[in-house]
Amino acid sequence: MRNKSFMSLLIYSLAIVAVGLIVFPIAWLVLASFKTMHQVFQLPPQIIFEPTFDNYRRLFFGGQLLNAFFNSLAVSIAIVVLSLILGVPAAYSLSTLKNRVGNNISFWILSIRMAPAFAVIIPYFIIMYYARLIDTIWAVIITYLTFAVPFQTWLLKVTFEELPRELEEAALIDGANKTAALFRVVLPNAAPMIASASILTFVLAWNEFLMAFILTSRDARTVPVLITALSGTHRLDWPIMAAISTVSMLPAFAFITFVQRYLIKGLTMGAVK
Amino acid sequence: MREEYKLLLPSVVILAALVAGPTFYLFYTSFLNWFLRDPHGPTFGGLDNYIKLLQSADFSASLIVTLVFSAASVSLSILIGLGLALLFNEELRGKRLMRTVLVMPIVLPPVVVGFTWKFLLSSEVGLIGAYFMRLIGFGDVSLLGEPTLALFSVILADVWGKTPLPFLIFLAGLAAVPPIYYESAKIDGAGKWQTFKSITLPNIRKPLVVALILRTIDAFNSFDVIFVMTKGGPGVATQTLPMLGWKVGFYYFDLGMASAIGVILLVMVISVSMPLVRRISR
Repeated sequence: MRNKSFMSLLIYSLAIVAVGLIVFPIAWLVLASFKTMHQVFQLPPQIIFEPTFDNYRRLFFGGQLLNAFFNSLAVSIAIVVLSLILGVPAAYSLSTLKNRVGNNISFWILSIRMAPAFAVIIPYFIIMYYARLIDTIWAVIITYLTFAVPFQTWLLKVTFEELPRELEEAALIDGANKTAALFRVVLPNAAPMIASASILTFVLAWNEFLMAFILTSRDARTVPVLITALSGTHRLDWPIMAAISTVSMLPAFAFITFVQRYLIKGLTMGAVK
Repeated sequence: MREEYKLLLPSVVILAALVAGPTFYLFYTSFLNWFLRDPHGPTFGGLDNYIKLLQSADFSASLIVTLVFSAASVSLSILIGLGLALLFNEELRGKRLMRTVLVMPIVLPPVVVGFTWKFLLSSEVGLIGAYFMRLIGFGDVSLLGEPTLALFSVILADVWGKTPLPFLIFLAGLAAVPPIYYESAKIDGAGKWQTFKSITLPNIRKPLVVALILRTIDAFNSFDVIFVMTKGGPGVATQTLPMLGWKVGFYYFDLGMASAIGVILLVMVISVSMPLVRRISR
């Protein structure tokens, strides 16, 4: 009995240490966003201090972050909408098309999802350079489609395959065609899962850095690009950086509980359910 | 049947235009001698770029950094992820909340993961890099400024950010083991280690392969976290292949050679990912 309670004590302590190791770095950064430059430089660091909202005030009235924030938002929303328009019909078709054509196209779409961003970005940079689209959000949106469409299509295909087929078959027997069945039966039933997949697509676009970094310079910078640009400056303004980072983590904080169950599928492309 | 193709066709055509064309173009430009601002434009160079790359010290250094970084980050994240999954497979109050917290880093922007650790490890303001190092008497050591320590630091940050992936994969794998296996092991009087070795391990072989492949692909592509923390420095101590490619292509504007690096990266990633892609899409 003593052995057992020792084991459970050990398990709890390990779990709490693990949680602490995740929470602490994030909390420390968020705390820094409420400090002045002077307070950030104080060593030993102060846990209790007089918080200032100055960093956030400077951010939202300074223009730079606001601009990057709206760019990120516009790109991510556009990507969700476009990837749904392109992904839903293809995913539905692939979920019912169980022949060689369907399998080969599935294989191809999944391979695209695995392609390295750096290999994709070089031709896109050249194309956007000659199309004079560098530093516009259009360049970013078009390039993001290369990963967002395969991601969304694949996730929805796996999702549709798990839906019970009876309702759809009943609609087909009643004389509806495939497209009607998709809109009247499949989509309403899969709505929560489509929402989850779309949230993950949003987060993917919101977090992306390399492509946006190469395609934008000032006007169309997204939040991650702004963070990197500022973190490279010589005399780093740590509190402002902490504030921008905190703002950029908001979608993740807001959505994580909604997509918990769907996350594993999204991260492994359905290899693990 | 016909209608299914009609639903599929528009997306496939657009995706092909978005992906197939640029991929062929990448292979083509990797054979060109082409500086973006060269007024004479590109000339055909055959395998020039590849030969120059294989002979350059910068390339081999980056390849080694990529391989060392990947080996360390992948194996550490998988070991820790497995440990955590085993821990969370036990009875634990508040498990769901704790699991949500542990998964958090994987949905954060990677540049923020990098910045968080840059902030902690900085020798100017860092809680660890400045304060803690001074406490233990290493006040003059800069964690991000010394080549070996910098590599350790970026690996640490990457492991912190990516461990949730193997953790979730193993959790799902462990949950799929039929409980009756454990019960019969208990009845047979098997110890903890014995149960782990002959029941848990064989049953998580598939999740292990998935985690290994996905993490390796991700590690080969590493850019964001490292770029924010060290920009590949000091010197080239943390310069991965994508980062070398960025420098060559978008700092020196040698598009031909950057394309060659892109092709090499593509081949590396495809050779790792193909078995998985084939398995999932079957």
